[in-house]
Amino acid sequence: MAVTTRLTWNEEKILQKLLGNVSLSLLYKSSVHECSIGEMLDKCNHQGPTITVIYFHNCIVGAFLLGDYPQQGESYRNQNSFYFSLKTNKTETTEILNVEPRIISKKLEFYSSNDIIFSLIPQESKIFIHPSLLTPLGIKHLYSTNYLECEVFRVEGIKDDKSYIRRITGVAQYRNKLLSELRAYTPCADLVSKINILLLGPVGSGKSSFFNSVKSVFQGHVTRQAAVGSDVTSITELYRMYSIQDEKDGKSLPFILCDTMGLDEKEGAGLCMDDISHILEGCVPDRYHFRPQQPITSRHPTFITSPSLKDRIHCVAYVLDINCIDSLSFEMVAKFKQVQKIVLNYGESHVALLTKVKNYHGVLQEDFLNMNNTMTSQSQIMKIQAMLKIPISNILMVENYAPEWEQDPLKDVLILSALRQMLRTADDYLDDLPPGITGSIRPQALRPTL
Amino acid sequence: RNMATRLTWIQEKKLQNLVKGKFSLLYRASVHGFTNNSLIWRCCNQGPTLLVIYSSDHVFGSYIPQNDKNKTRVSCLLFAFEETKILRCEIGPHDLNDYVYHYGNKEEFQIDLSEKKVTMSLDTIKKLKLSQHQTISFEECEVFRCEDLLDTRKMEGVAELRGSLLSSIRTYKPSRDLVNQMRILLLGPIGAGKSSFFNSVKSVFRGHVTHQALVSSDRTGISEQYRTYSIKDGKDGNSLPFILCDSMGLSEEKGLCMDDIPYILKGHVPDRYQFNFMKPITPGHSNYIDFPLLEDRIHCVAFVFDANSIGQLSDEMVAKIKKARREVIKCGIGVVHVVLLTCVDSMDLITKGDLIDIYKCMPVKLKQEEVHKKLGFALSDILVVSNYTSEWNLDPIKDVLNLSALRQMLWAADDFLEDLPLEETG
Repeated sequence: MAVTTRLTWNEEKILQKLLGNVSLSLLYKSSVHECSIGEMLDKCNHQGPTITVIYFHNCIVGAFLLGDYPQQGESYRNQNSFYFSLKTNKTETTEILNVEPRIISKKLEFYSSNDIIFSLIPQESKIFIHPSLLTPLGIKHLYSTNYLECEVFRVEGIKDDKSYIRRITGVAQYRNKLLSELRAYTPCADLVSKINILLLGPVGSGKSSFFNSVKSVFQGHVTRQAAVGSDVTSITELYRMYSIQDEKDGKSLPFILCDTMGLDEKEGAGLCMDDISHILEGCVPDRYHFRPQQPITSRHPTFITSPSLKDRIHCVAYVLDINCIDSLSFEMVAKFKQVQKIVLNYGESHVALLTKVKNYHGVLQEDFLNMNNTMTSQSQIMKIQAMLKIPISNILMVENYAPEWEQDPLKDVLILSALRQMLRTADDYLDDLPPGITGSIRPQALRPTL
Repeated sequence: RNMATRLTWIQEKKLQNLVKGKFSLLYRASVHGFTNNSLIWRCCNQGPTLLVIYSSDHVFGSYIPQNDKNKTRVSCLLFAFEETKILRCEIGPHDLNDYVYHYGNKEEFQIDLSEKKVTMSLDTIKKLKLSQHQTISFEECEVFRCEDLLDTRKMEGVAELRGSLLSSIRTYKPSRDLVNQMRILLLGPIGAGKSSFFNSVKSVFRGHVTHQALVSSDRTGISEQYRTYSIKDGKDGNSLPFILCDSMGLSEEKGLCMDDIPYILKGHVPDRYQFNFMKPITPGHSNYIDFPLLEDRIHCVAFVFDANSIGQLSDEMVAKIKKARREVIKCGIGVVHVVLLTCVDSMDLITKGDLIDIYKCMPVKLKQEEVHKKLGFALSDILVVSNYTSEWNLDPIKDVLNLSALRQMLWAADDFLEDLPLEETG
């Protein structure tokens, strides 16, 4: 007779996702093992992080402990923990508390500020939850009541750091806040209705993947509009101005991601330098086919001869694979400097976007508001800062979506934060435009003196 | 605190296949203490358990199939790894209490945790090819609870997921209502499973396994015709919002002519057109579609590969596949594409229980990596499917894999439609 959890498969998946795509191993089950604190402790102590799950008729209540289960007669101070409830309609809510778990006369008790916040009495299949916890979890009716079952799981796959709990409980909330902010964004002084962001970088650095990832975040599933993958030459040979809809057939978002042919270290290969000037001015139409040795000219039938502000690029993002920065060739660095010179001559605002960041969990501080010093002081960041003269706050790090869509709200936060920073940078550019530059502009008005 | 097992992925997989279950680690001597009490406290009344011993040069142990109070005498399976092969030896039946409370008996198998020693009969040691001594010192001991890979609640979850996928596909509406049905082109080497995939998808909606598209049992390939299969929901139901287009297979020698691909993508090739490997279709052909509508075009391409054949693709075939992919990317607007990996079930170590979490299986990940490196496809575009071959009736686990891939293709086709410029939609 196998011992299995009472969780349905879907409930298990919800909990695994809530805890950050972890594995759960059942250690104790009250209906199989004795309903006693002793039996519970025998099976659950020294097992690492655990969740204790309590089953009622229409909902599940649980407590996550980052440290070890307490032992008889001992207490562990300032244990990080959070509580969650899962209703029949699959909504989940969480509440964070620092607690001190204790075993006192056959009860498992969680103390917070000397109050018993959560108490479990296995012998009586009874649970007590403090009113201050009942309300945030939406379970006011479960003040002091009998439960149907209690199970304890070991939680595997957690990074061992103290900010784990705050991150895990705050990330979905912050992600949704960013989504709302970006949906509601309007460019500085309403000068344009959409911000054009240009993605520039070597072949294979993740430019098209970044567009796909941004679209995936807003659509809620993997998207593949831009072809990606590897081949000897750049797949992207067309200039693309990607507009993104908010959800399927929804309204357009207030930014456009412009994807180009990749930069190549060889002379006469990859994106042509003169094409960059034309792109920045807004003269290159969507779907223009680049030629490495032949820039677009005003005689091309679809050349935009009188671009207005809305056609121009408002922010340039240099896209690089963070893992390739240390091996950038002298020729590629020189090419970046050429590009940068053109971009600066046009007064463009710019950011660097570093992709394929493996340890992306560590990019942001636990409140997601700023990047971590340990990440921003990496040698790769220093090199980019020196090479491109970009302030560190505009050197952004993301991990694009890859094998099998497993929605990760932290990846979303990184992608959306990077996008927000690009929009803020574009606002700086718009704010810095000379007075009167609205509507149609003669190219000469903004063409740099050579 | 390290509660991760020492078993390698392969060792764990071999053991899972041996006892037909998956494992939850309950006790680890180096964490919980080398004492009998510590083991008993954690492992008593946990159902079937697996005990694994690590000595300096061997991994071996015992599987106790039942661990509850109703049965009193049980047989126990001893095992040992010889490289990646498992040797086994059954002992007993013996009183269950001997295993539960003493973990063995002196004559055949006994563990002394405090001394870190295992004692076995010489006969057993010989069968398991362990040392020449009756007593073996060990470094670590782990005990796992064994659970069914496919228990009732998991199958209920699969059934629920299958129902939800079916519903979302039946009611799927192409982006901007530009077409009624999305056209998905299946491209790949002969024998990769293109026609089988169509058959498998149709089977799901029919309710039992069907074989409308003939499948080649020989390698010359039967599919020389271009087929555009529309599928009904049920036997006489409405048409589903997609059409699967099956083409001649790619081959080093004869196979689909590369120059035919742009014509297929643009919608010029009629249903049942007979391909000629030497000569592409021309506008002069009697059934050539001169002015294809948007709904005649291909909206998504699925490259189909047999997972077991990736390693044996010749240089010529690799070059041909890459060329086909470039055609797809650069043809006009550029059609969105994915990869379907078939025959994953027949890969070494893979069992039906793995299909539920197939993307977490290491051999499958390695295959995806291989496709990515060899052929250049993005990892995120490589999907796994499981075609029906010898079955008569549907398997919900296979259906979930196939329907999930199908939904990805519909989303990909939407990406294509969303990307169309206005002049192409009129």
